[in-house]
Amino acid sequence: MSKSTLLWSVALAAAAVVIPFYLDASWLQDGLFAMAAAIGAIGLNLLTGATGQLSMGHAFFLAVGAFGYVYFASVPAEGGHAALDGLGLPTPVAAVLAVLLAGAAGGLFSPIAARLKGAYLGIATLALIFIGHFVMSNATPVTGGHNGRPVPPLEVFGFVFADTPDAPLVIAGVPFGALERLWFLGVVLLLGAGLFARGVLRGRPGRAMNTIRDHEIAAGVMGVPVARYRAGVFVLSSMYGGLAGVLIALVFQQTVPDYFGLLLALSYLAMIIIGGLGSVAGAVIGAVFVSMLPRLLTRYSDALPLIVQPGQEGVGAAEAAQILYGLAVVVVVLFLPGGLLGLVTQLRLRTGRRIASAPAAKHSLTPTPETRN
Amino acid sequence: MATSRTSRRIAALALLALAATACASEKATGGGGEAAASGDGVKTGPGVTADTISIGMMTDLTGPYASFGKSLTNAQQLYFQQVNAAGGVCGRQLEAVVRDHGYDVQKAVAAYTEIGPKVVAMAHVVGSPMVNAVKQRIEADKMLTIPQAWATTLLGSEPIQVTATTYDIDMINGVDFLAKEKGIKSGDKIGHLYFEGDYGESALNGSKFAAEKLGLELVEQKIKATDQDMTAQVAAFKKAGVKAVLVSVGPRQTASLVGVSLAGGMDIPFVGSNSAYSPQLLPTPAGPALLKDFYYMTGGAPIGSDLPALKKLADDYKAKYPNEAIDSGVAAGYTAAGIVVDALKKACESKDLTRAGVVAAHRSQSSWGQEYGGTMDFTVFDKPASLRSYVAKPDKDALGGAVVFKDASESDLVKEYQVPVG
Repeated sequence: MSKSTLLWSVALAAAAVVIPFYLDASWLQDGLFAMAAAIGAIGLNLLTGATGQLSMGHAFFLAVGAFGYVYFASVPAEGGHAALDGLGLPTPVAAVLAVLLAGAAGGLFSPIAARLKGAYLGIATLALIFIGHFVMSNATPVTGGHNGRPVPPLEVFGFVFADTPDAPLVIAGVPFGALERLWFLGVVLLLGAGLFARGVLRGRPGRAMNTIRDHEIAAGVMGVPVARYRAGVFVLSSMYGGLAGVLIALVFQQTVPDYFGLLLALSYLAMIIIGGLGSVAGAVIGAVFVSMLPRLLTRYSDALPLIVQPGQEGVGAAEAAQILYGLAVVVVVLFLPGGLLGLVTQLRLRTGRRIASAPAAKHSLTPTPETRN
Repeated sequence: MATSRTSRRIAALALLALAATACASEKATGGGGEAAASGDGVKTGPGVTADTISIGMMTDLTGPYASFGKSLTNAQQLYFQQVNAAGGVCGRQLEAVVRDHGYDVQKAVAAYTEIGPKVVAMAHVVGSPMVNAVKQRIEADKMLTIPQAWATTLLGSEPIQVTATTYDIDMINGVDFLAKEKGIKSGDKIGHLYFEGDYGESALNGSKFAAEKLGLELVEQKIKATDQDMTAQVAAFKKAGVKAVLVSVGPRQTASLVGVSLAGGMDIPFVGSNSAYSPQLLPTPAGPALLKDFYYMTGGAPIGSDLPALKKLADDYKAKYPNEAIDSGVAAGYTAAGIVVDALKKACESKDLTRAGVVAAHRSQSSWGQEYGGTMDFTVFDKPASLRSYVAKPDKDALGGAVVFKDASESDLVKEYQVPVG
């Protein structure tokens, strides 16, 4: 690890610790959404970016994680319309089981994932979204039906990740509610997820995955078991999806089936394309961009010129936010083929004045070693 | 060299961070979350200061209900302006805090976390999935909330006030209307086309109850919100030989259903839920079919009715937003704003403008809204506020595209009905 990387890591870690003491709940929640999205996007980037397997069904695995956690952790209860089942397991166990369940769901699908590639797999995984939606809406005792069901807060060794009005936790004068506590959980999970994926990508499996993406036959000739790798990556990616789903559920405090739809799956694809295919950093940058930008724009677009207050004639803040977000996506895709990560790499090269000695910045659509972490 | 530059930059960043830490965190100083008494002796909480009262709106300006959401927001802004011009509430001016969620649950949750701590009540929240997603927080915050959805799953929560009737009540009154005025009698078959989800299922509860009571046979057809073409459903209804069809879907599906039925020679009455019709349908090819024998049930009076309060609203709205179409959102939004403001006024009388105080004041009113065509009882929250539904009929020339066909009434059937809650 170079000195600059180390310093950057220290700076980021310091920021992650300090932030919950200063920013209000709404920022923390946006940050948590971004972290959960980052975990999911890392998983999808392993599959789509690094191995070249298109998946449109990532939202399904998020749903499996979210609903799995709720089912494992909830105590059976009499609901309004129908009784809700649950296993009432300790919540950390439930979280781990939910991730494994998502992996198992991916495993069930992996015979298909191993045989199909590219757009064909994309269409096949699309089916998962619709199957998932049907199951979520109709398996009421497990999922709570259309309205979803409340999510029990995570509790690790007596420490509850929720608001505790009776015994408030105050650190350095700052009241620590659910979001502040979850923030640290999110940071730890994201760090673990990122490091693990980086290990996979940098090691032998990562090289094998990239070879499969770049030249399947060559990979086979060199002794890479192509089908097994494809299936394995699919399972791993669905486990990342499941973990993201658990975190999302904990932040939402209520699982809602409508959320885990096609739009969510597409936004995950947007994240890795915008951020940069095939790398952990790209996935994280893309996830932050896609989940934070619309919120930032909605929040501040009323300060822009020509924007009217809601309830007046003209372009309102909400419409403006959507237009600007769309523009930003188009600009990134048009002018930054390596995604935002490619831009960062380029800037670093430039500021380091190594442009002359370094090979010209890569603009290929497939990730290059420079854009990969 | 690059490394030393980077480290210098990071050192600068670290210094900045340190400097920031040295200042006391704003969060650490507490903020105004606690209830406090202000100068005029009124207890205040979040969203209320000495001179303003902030009221939230979580609306849909960019999603599938954008035109409805825009009408709601416009109408509520109009109401607040009129109240402010008349001196405000409790000596304070009303201020709307609007957030768009585009019918996306995550955005709605994010919006609630952002504006929730800054407002005293929610004048409208579009969409029952969105209300359900933040229901726990609404209950914990005791935030008076008016959802713009009428499913029975929204009942049973003290701070959440569903306006007027729920979908099932409308359907029971609708079946009663069919029996009394459209010659549907015991032994006949009637169809019910409904969306999966709590809108359709709430409505279905009502039609099932009414059909059983009147000895009718109910032919159910469930569709998804993404389905557009109703040809298969029409064929199924035709095969079953239904004498009338109840409609609890979106306006597009209604247009397809009614148009295809009439084209196929199935000339029968249709009765829709209030969300099944939109005046935007009239200029479409389905328009003539809708004008023929389609009715919809609504708990709130349509804006095209003769009530003086609504006539005045229509004039004011047209004066303020001359280019906006008038749809059902205008009256619905205006009425909901009225509910919130009256709760605030009542709360002011008892000198308690905290959220809990506002909810308590709201729940003390047992007959509200005579001027909007039908009183609502807010003292109970496990029952709909009203059991009376209007029968409205589309009309090309009427304001809002509909006229009152039959005045609001409460059928005998509905009195025996037990509303499922939660």
